[in-house]
Amino acid sequence: MLVLTRKKDEGIIIGDSISITIVDIKNGQVRVGIDAPADTRIFRRELYEQIKQENLAALAWKPEDLETLATTLSSSGTTR
Amino acid sequence: MKHIANTRFGTVEYHPDKVIFFVDGLIGFEDLHEFIVLPQKKEGPLFWLQSIENPEIAFVLTNPADFFPDYRIAPDKNDRIKLHLSETDGYLLLSVVTVRPDRSITLNLAAPVLMNPDKRFALQAVLEKGGFSTKTPLPQTVAANG
Repeated sequence: MLVLTRKKDEGIIIGDSISITIVDIKNGQVRVGIDAPADTRIFRRELYEQIKQENLAALAWKPEDLETLATTLSSSGTTR
Repeated sequence: MKHIANTRFGTVEYHPDKVIFFVDGLIGFEDLHEFIVLPQKKEGPLFWLQSIENPEIAFVLTNPADFFPDYRIAPDKNDRIKLHLSETDGYLLLSVVTVRPDRSITLNLAAPVLMNPDKRFALQAVLEKGGFSTKTPLPQTVAANG
């Protein structure tokens, strides 16, 4: 991993289109500003990892689950 | 002409016109873009979303509005561009279903699937705000009735 030391108001350029600025540093927290193209996906890593883990967990279903659940859910879900 | 896809559950036929393109893949599965929705044997609120590119990858989706009528998530401007949706085009809001080892069901309300049903583009949005859980149990009334 590349490790760089930056001060407040300094920045990092990544590739042609991403610019990161250290906006503020206090109380053990760093505020980071990111300029990137609109279609670049930017996430807090812990949220990304949480959703990735949930997507992995969601793969564990079996075909018979679908039938059982369809019966259960369709009899109890509200209809629109 | 029908195409054949391999799945964990055997081979299935699909029509290439029905392929849904996930612009950014799903979270953790960014390299998988092409999915098909497979029909169920029984009528119901669940859909089986199968990756064409990886037979092992199949998600179960449902319409969260059936269980959480107040859960309304709209695509933002960037989502609309990615989905090729105009300001007035309709879209589908779906949730990834997890069947937990104890067979209880949770919905991932923190990362809904937004879909353009006409042009068949889709993405998994990540909701930073709103306090939605990736493991939202079905409402009590539903669980009790079921």
